[in-house]
Amino acid sequence: MWLPAWMRSARVLIGLAIVLLIGLAAVFAPLLAPHDPNEQNLIATLLPPAWLPGGEAEFPFGTDSLGRCVLSRLIYGARVAMAVAVVASFGAMLLGGVLAHVAGYFGGRVDWLIGRVVDVWMSFPPVILSLVLMVGLGTGLRNVILAIVLVDWTRFCRVLRSEVLVVRRRDYVTAARLVGFSHWRTITREVLPATVPLLITLVSLEMGIAVIVEAILSFVGMSVSADTPAWGQMIADARQYVYQSSWNLIFPILAIFITVFGFNLLGDGLRRTLDVRLTAVRT
Amino acid sequence: MNAILLLLVRRALISVVILFFVAALLFCVLRLLPVDPAAMSLPPMATIAEVEAKRREMGLDLPLPQQFLIWLGQVLHGDFGISIHFRRSVASLVASTLPATVELAVIAMAIATVLGLGGGLLLFHVRGRPAEPAVDFGSIVLLSIPEFLWGLFFILLFGVALGVLPFTGRLSAEFQRPLVTGFLLLDTLLTGRPDMFWDALKHMILPAFALGIAFSPTIMRVLRSSLIDVYHEDYITQARLRGVSERRVLVRHGLKNAILPTLSLMGVQFGILFGGTLLVEVIYSYPGLGNLMVDAVRNADLPIIQAVGLTYCVVVLVINTVVDALYLVLNPKLRIA
Repeated sequence: MWLPAWMRSARVLIGLAIVLLIGLAAVFAPLLAPHDPNEQNLIATLLPPAWLPGGEAEFPFGTDSLGRCVLSRLIYGARVAMAVAVVASFGAMLLGGVLAHVAGYFGGRVDWLIGRVVDVWMSFPPVILSLVLMVGLGTGLRNVILAIVLVDWTRFCRVLRSEVLVVRRRDYVTAARLVGFSHWRTITREVLPATVPLLITLVSLEMGIAVIVEAILSFVGMSVSADTPAWGQMIADARQYVYQSSWNLIFPILAIFITVFGFNLLGDGLRRTLDVRLTAVRT
Repeated sequence: MNAILLLLVRRALISVVILFFVAALLFCVLRLLPVDPAAMSLPPMATIAEVEAKRREMGLDLPLPQQFLIWLGQVLHGDFGISIHFRRSVASLVASTLPATVELAVIAMAIATVLGLGGGLLLFHVRGRPAEPAVDFGSIVLLSIPEFLWGLFFILLFGVALGVLPFTGRLSAEFQRPLVTGFLLLDTLLTGRPDMFWDALKHMILPAFALGIAFSPTIMRVLRSSLIDVYHEDYITQARLRGVSERRVLVRHGLKNAILPTLSLMGVQFGILFGGTLLVEVIYSYPGLGNLMVDAVRNADLPIIQAVGLTYCVVVLVINTVVDALYLVLNPKLRIA
């Protein structure tokens, strides 16, 4: 049976498996979580995981300082992480992708203007800009997503623009224009298909970045409200009890790492198998 | 030589223009803020009339562009306002925390450079060999661990489990901090206190390595791919045909050309790293700009947020300008242009 290259890549398959697993955990959180993530159990605080002495089978990954089930909070935390990862990266892709195609295709003054806007954006360290935006916009899931879109569109814009510039000079694009295609039709039918592989790769990598940024924002308390479990928040809580129970800190760290690793592996695999130039050199 | 100078001046002027727009953007975003800076700078029992008077006094009733120009004028005179929370001049708060952050960022960047260049050479060296998948896989793992996860991991490992290194603050409590330049490592040496220097250095090891390791994999990968690109060039084959040793080909022909793209990426990385210090500072309770910023965000302390945000951008622009200058000096192609 013939499969496209990307489906035969171990990186893509493993990355996809990790991402799907976490995605499913997020979607079916109410069914999977053994407890309500906010249910406090003040008699059983800071319990170690069930396999260690002192642990209880009822709380597989132990409990936090308020006696909340760590496993349940991790599963529910995946909801915020995945929602931000998916929506924010697509938003950033749309904004950055559209501007990149406009700049690269039309060139001239539009290109200059977009280039200068990117310059201004690039002089903000991403962490600082997202923090400042959160101060301005106020907390909440929607604003976290908006902040990430407004910070990270430049990643797409910069990389895609140079790709569009290359594609634009190809003969078939000129031919399309000569045949009488409108600009819109030329961009969507002739240029876009050539830039889509790069676009997909960038989205996958951006999802990992979005997970990290959300964790950073919830770590400093500038993301979702305190009654929505988020991994960064769990880290911030656990940091104060690091001597009593380091497991509380280890689990959310692992959750973030595994998720980001999944997205990066997927992105790297896609880059290798979808990038025509790279595959041409390798085979 | 004059051509370079001209380009440098041009680059510096562009930076100033960018900075103007950065300041405008920062100002506009922070004016979206739902809190009222006038009400916040007054005691809670102030009457509505008093708040109104304060608003007028602070110029908050003026149109936004006018407010911005007034603020910009004050900033140009070095007046960043008074912190609402600390009741101290923001300029002095920034001045007392900036050196700590710069110190941390520079040491972290040095670590990232050493690890990045070493790792890049390793990645390049194993290309096409059986070890390639393993090393490459390792670089993706590294790429997936951001600086704040390294920071927390180091605290767990070296601070809590092994107990070998301190992980809060910049100095142990028994020392009195000397103040000469504001750069602690420099000050301890200037005042002739090697014991204190050693103590301060120990406090910096974990945060600096957390940042350095997190930013090294990107450098590794770019160095590898630039080296691979360079090795496709004819002059490499030509050098080999001449009988030049493989080591000499790498150092004299490969690295010499591959270092330029790597350098310009490192400039961008250094800027991002400088922002990344924020999280690491919070995690290690390191008294720098990052902690000042996060405290200000929690207290909605507008003057500090504005000033610190601007400071980060100024540093990034300075870094970019310096890297561009280095690029010009190192790249013979641009020198003639």
